Amino acid sequence: MIIPRAIPASLVLALLALLVLAPMAGLLHLSALPGYEPGDLRFWESAYLRRVLFFSIWQAVLSTLFSVLPAILVARAFAMQPDLPLRRLLLGLFALPLVVPGVVVVMGVVSVYGSDGWLPMGRSLYGINGILLAHVFFNLPLAVRLLLPLWQVIPQHHWQLGEQLGMNAWQRFRFIEWPMLRETLPGVLLLVFMLCLTSFAVVLTLGGGPRSTTVEVAIYQSLRFDFDPARAVMLALLQLGLCMLVAMLTLKFQRMPEVEIAISAPYRSRRSTLSSVVNLLLIGAATLYVGLPLLSLLIDALQGPFFKMVTSSQLWQAFANTLFIGMSAALLSVLAGWFLLQYSASLARQGRVTGARVVELAGSIVYVIPPLVIATGMFVLLSPHVDVFDWVYPIVIAINALMGLPFVVRCLGPSMRQSHARYHRLCLSLDLQGWNRFRFIEWPLLRRPLGLAIALVAVLAMGDLGVIALFGSTQTATLPLMIYQQLGAYLISQATVTALLLLLLCLAVFALLERGIGGKPDVAN
Amino acid sequence: MHSVLPRVAAGLASFLLCFSLQAATPNLVVYTYDSFISDWGPGPKVKAAFEATCNCTLELVGLSDGVAMLNRLKLEGDNSRADLLLGIDTNLTAEARSSGLFYAHELSLQSSALPDPWQDDLFLPYDFGYFAFVYNKEKLASPPTSLRQLVDDSDGPTLLIQDPRTSTPGLGLLLWIKKIYGDKADQAWAQLSPRIVTVSKGWSEAYGLFLKGEADMVLSYTTSPAYHMIAEQDLRFAAARFEEGHYQQIEVAGMVRSSQQKELARRFLAFMISEDFQKIIPTTNWMYPVVGGQAVLPPEFDQLIDPAPALLLDETSVAEQRKNWVEEWLEVMSR
Repeated sequence: MIIPRAIPASLVLALLALLVLAPMAGLLHLSALPGYEPGDLRFWESAYLRRVLFFSIWQAVLSTLFSVLPAILVARAFAMQPDLPLRRLLLGLFALPLVVPGVVVVMGVVSVYGSDGWLPMGRSLYGINGILLAHVFFNLPLAVRLLLPLWQVIPQHHWQLGEQLGMNAWQRFRFIEWPMLRETLPGVLLLVFMLCLTSFAVVLTLGGGPRSTTVEVAIYQSLRFDFDPARAVMLALLQLGLCMLVAMLTLKFQRMPEVEIAISAPYRSRRSTLSSVVNLLLIGAATLYVGLPLLSLLIDALQGPFFKMVTSSQLWQAFANTLFIGMSAALLSVLAGWFLLQYSASLARQGRVTGARVVELAGSIVYVIPPLVIATGMFVLLSPHVDVFDWVYPIVIAINALMGLPFVVRCLGPSMRQSHARYHRLCLSLDLQGWNRFRFIEWPLLRRPLGLAIALVAVLAMGDLGVIALFGSTQTATLPLMIYQQLGAYLISQATVTALLLLLLCLAVFALLERGIGGKPDVAN
Repeated sequence: MHSVLPRVAAGLASFLLCFSLQAATPNLVVYTYDSFISDWGPGPKVKAAFEATCNCTLELVGLSDGVAMLNRLKLEGDNSRADLLLGIDTNLTAEARSSGLFYAHELSLQSSALPDPWQDDLFLPYDFGYFAFVYNKEKLASPPTSLRQLVDDSDGPTLLIQDPRTSTPGLGLLLWIKKIYGDKADQAWAQLSPRIVTVSKGWSEAYGLFLKGEADMVLSYTTSPAYHMIAEQDLRFAAARFEEGHYQQIEVAGMVRSSQQKELARRFLAFMISEDFQKIIPTTNWMYPVVGGQAVLPPEFDQLIDPAPALLLDETSVAEQRKNWVEEWLEVMSR
């Protein structure tokens, strides 16, 4: 018996809805109780909210453009230089910024661009400049990682044809690469936009003050400082609505490419020396940009009390917790994403493109509901019935898996759709179903994006601070939480050592997962 | 197989034994902030010292901060596992009091190191400190000597502060300026604003930026230089003494009304204001102990500034006005 793809996908969607809507309902219910009455609801009309909303959108749009547009060039440069020495190491480096806790990034950015830094910018650092510097540091490498696989699926003969037709670089880009980009780019733009929109500590600290307040800060304020759950829920819905609007705008530009998928060896064309030099310059600049703050962290950490710290049992407990939460969240997230994408791809194959997009969007957009809202709402719902402390791991893992879904959708979605479009009929005719279909068709085609997805979500969850900070105590602390606690107790040099440990752990996990699942690079299956 | 079974049985037996032993000794649950229970915080020493005398298990549960603790306790209501709450400050006591979730401690704190006698039937203090602007003596030769000088001198030192919406010191400075300037606080903020390099989410970001050399002064505590002296043998840092006085932060603990072990909880509170607990505080929480005086203070604390007169707004007006004052601050600072 074949289980229709709609069933597991609907289950996942229902779970998503439950995980997001139930806590919000819990919070709204709370606001009906004495002591939690909603405050002044006229805040909708306030100049403050308008300013916050305008600033949030403005900084997010700028950050997105400054991250993704250069990322196209850098990803292209990487794709064109498949034999670059240390290429894998550099690409591994590009997975790291995502996991560095915001407060550590602020320190790294200041080490490089601060008044005593290597490239001092003085006071002009604080404001939109600092926000952009930090957001590009987070998101440019991410966008490079997400865009790079595109060039791996461009069939060899397209390049050959282009060469025979005597296309110049611009024409190659326009006719060979752009059609592929058009499918993926809107999703990457949306993802980076969501990441920048929900940024908090970085925006507040590098933004120079309350002028740089985002909606995320306003939500935090209403839930923590004012304890006005109704207002927090409404602000969260506002943020959700905003993202849906942006999603619709970006998706309008999305086109499915009309080329077949091929996992091919990278095409080694006869490039001119000039284009190689340009590519190397681009890669060099991006590596410097990403590497400098990380290097400053490394220098600080090597001066830290390394040997004193490695004997701390709290450190190793946090190390184990980090690994456990990261791996569990990644598996859960990829599993849920797999079912969603199978369904969405089969809808797309049947020509129901809008339906396919809605399913994918549902998987992505829950990201913008702040973890604080979900976690507090869950607490309201669960605490009368269970001791929430016994549930720290399941809750933290579930929310992190939820936060990882948009990354799974981005990494895996395009390839899944192409695999369906191209091989579905073949599978039908061969009567390949379930496990066999996975083993013979999907695994060889999808293991690479799958490896990237699992690796990304794992390091993302390992770097999480937003969720664990709400539940974690010493017993359940992770490395990012420990960094934060150390920074809060004057232990700055210890914190840099912990941060280095976190980065090394992430690098190892990322490489193992990406290689272990994705297979060896540059080998056609 | 043969060798495994007895070991499993022995393991099971010892597990059951542990379990029954644990059931025999009472378990006292204290909600606190997580830096209290970390390796470097007071928690481990406090736990060892109290358990040595109480014939009980002290379970310290770490939450992110005072606001989180109080919100948590309110949400749990009478179902809470907590017997005690340790780590809210006097800016939160009014809210905690009106929640009705606390129980009278019935203890007295006769002679404390606090500037004013302590009178509160629900909460007992365990440490206190004063907010101050900390600077590097090698970089800033003549720091301002009063808050008014800091505010008025438009060429004065650059500052790093914290956001009162998200940070305790940030709220402390807001109240400090309110206490000195009253209705003119907004003008003072407008004068200060151009010299504020940035307003961070928490203390750690601002202090980290200060150590990286991003500004001349950072909002912190008068006791911060003691950390650098004792833990790092670094004598470069000092707090600027302001002649109007320094705003106080008093951290307190209270018994939870729904606790089934009020006697034991009360014993903990009595222990908390004893010298055994108090001598742990200065070099783990980097605050002043409330009792014990010079005997429990490391000599480096003598080199700290005298923050007198201590400034404090009463808890009721803070609770009533905090929201308006923060809005006023937001308005000025967003210009």
